[in-house]
Amino acid sequence: MRPQSEFEQDIAQLIVESLNLEDISAADIDPDEALFGEGLGLDSIDALELALAITQKYAVQLKADDANVQEVFGSLSSLSAYVAENAP
Amino acid sequence: MKNSYPLTTRKLGDIIAHAGGAEISVARFLGQAKTIADELPRHTYVVNLAASRYEFLLGLCAAIIAGQCTLLPPNRQQQTLQQLRENYADCYLFGETDVEGIAGFYADPEHYASAAAAVDVPVIPRHQLCAIAFTSGSTGASTPHPKYWDTIHVGAQANARLLGLSDAKPANMLATVPPQHMWGLEMSILLPLFANIAVSHETPLFPQDIRDALAALPEPRILVSSPVHLDAFLRADIEATRISRVLSATAPLSAELARQIETRFGATVTEIFGCSEAGSLAARSTASETLWRISDVFDLQVHDDRINVLAPHLPERVVLHDRIEMVGERQFRWLGRDQDMINIAGKRGSLAHLNHKLTQIPGVVDGVIFLPAEDSKRLAGLVVAPGIEPSAILEKLKEAVEPAFLPRPFYSVPMLPRQETGKLARKMVLELFASLGSKANDDAEPADNES
Repeated sequence: MRPQSEFEQDIAQLIVESLNLEDISAADIDPDEALFGEGLGLDSIDALELALAITQKYAVQLKADDANVQEVFGSLSSLSAYVAENAP
Repeated sequence: MKNSYPLTTRKLGDIIAHAGGAEISVARFLGQAKTIADELPRHTYVVNLAASRYEFLLGLCAAIIAGQCTLLPPNRQQQTLQQLRENYADCYLFGETDVEGIAGFYADPEHYASAAAAVDVPVIPRHQLCAIAFTSGSTGASTPHPKYWDTIHVGAQANARLLGLSDAKPANMLATVPPQHMWGLEMSILLPLFANIAVSHETPLFPQDIRDALAALPEPRILVSSPVHLDAFLRADIEATRISRVLSATAPLSAELARQIETRFGATVTEIFGCSEAGSLAARSTASETLWRISDVFDLQVHDDRINVLAPHLPERVVLHDRIEMVGERQFRWLGRDQDMINIAGKRGSLAHLNHKLTQIPGVVDGVIFLPAEDSKRLAGLVVAPGIEPSAILEKLKEAVEPAFLPRPFYSVPMLPRQETGKLARKMVLELFASLGSKANDDAEPADNES
């Protein structure tokens, strides 16, 4: 796996903390691997919880209609890029 | 008793849906449903995977008109669809392209949108099998629950009475729960056929999307949701919009959350108690009431610790996995679930079964999966498996159980706090679990080095 960028490390930490994934290490999340379904196996409850955590920390409201949500939540890398682009 | 009932009791001029920025009248909707019914592949079973709630409504009603039975799988995962194909070989998908070797049928909106408005309402034989709902056991294998037209017809009108929507003024509904799930089906698909409700085609999940979809509807507005979605909607710092009614089910709603929603949105919050086998059984105003009012078509009989649900429109009696105390004839107090039964993300399972699957994994010496608190969204787990990473055990467990039941967090421990009798006290498990959680951030594998 390619190394996480600094911002990806922050988002990985947020994922682990907000979703109670204490049993996996933030550093072990592959930036290009799927977060949902296979990969980390997250579901829609996680998507919602993660969206709230992102709003609280980065003031970015996730919306289904201004981007393909499945794509945004596709991987650590795509999620980090979306948050970075949309942060005020 | 009549041998058939109309597909809808609404007037042809009523509005039944908001789709693509337009108000859809019952006459227009029925015209479209009839057009689609004529074109459906001639099969017995259809899996309705339509993404738009209005398309789902069209697909369901077109199938009923064509005499086909709609299958309502708990999810659209590959495994689930494969299982459906094995059990219902003669099925096709509505609203989807071919998946897993199952043929897809897509109704083209360009085509059905121009259908002539209907001038009459189709009449459906009361014994026609219209849908099959499934409850997912913890194995991932599911139990079918047939829904005949009289069950649907009588049940939906009972729901309208239970919620005080029978003769109510027109209202506009938004649902955050999928139409394929029994709760979403009863409220957002079946209720609009029998009560003065126009439903939005959207199924928003994120708070900002819910807010926008609500704002797009005229008042009065009804929001159909679940405690998980409502909690997120409330916590999100977004501009409030006025909602008249909030209907919640799928998991227990706290009185505190109910009160906060009422204050913030000016809404009346009604919580519904039900199950996939019987539908909505009872309701209460959770902000101010603790007792549940039983829907007028049901009788609840308590025998020892078993609760039987009886109703003329149900094909057979239903056994509830809950403990209740009757208060008078038509109300009850909910005491809790059967200790063994859990409900995560709208899916039911047995802890005993999950624990059995966990301890069967090679290398696992002991282990326990449990619900940390009554209102936890997730299960947690402790495992004794020297030399094996918890993640590797989860991989194995994933093959045997429904993904929503995978424990999180899942810690490896040297041993479980079993008593001499071998009994595992919940209190001891929770204490051990709490002691691990606090160290989790300091140590990537918190339990492996414990002595």
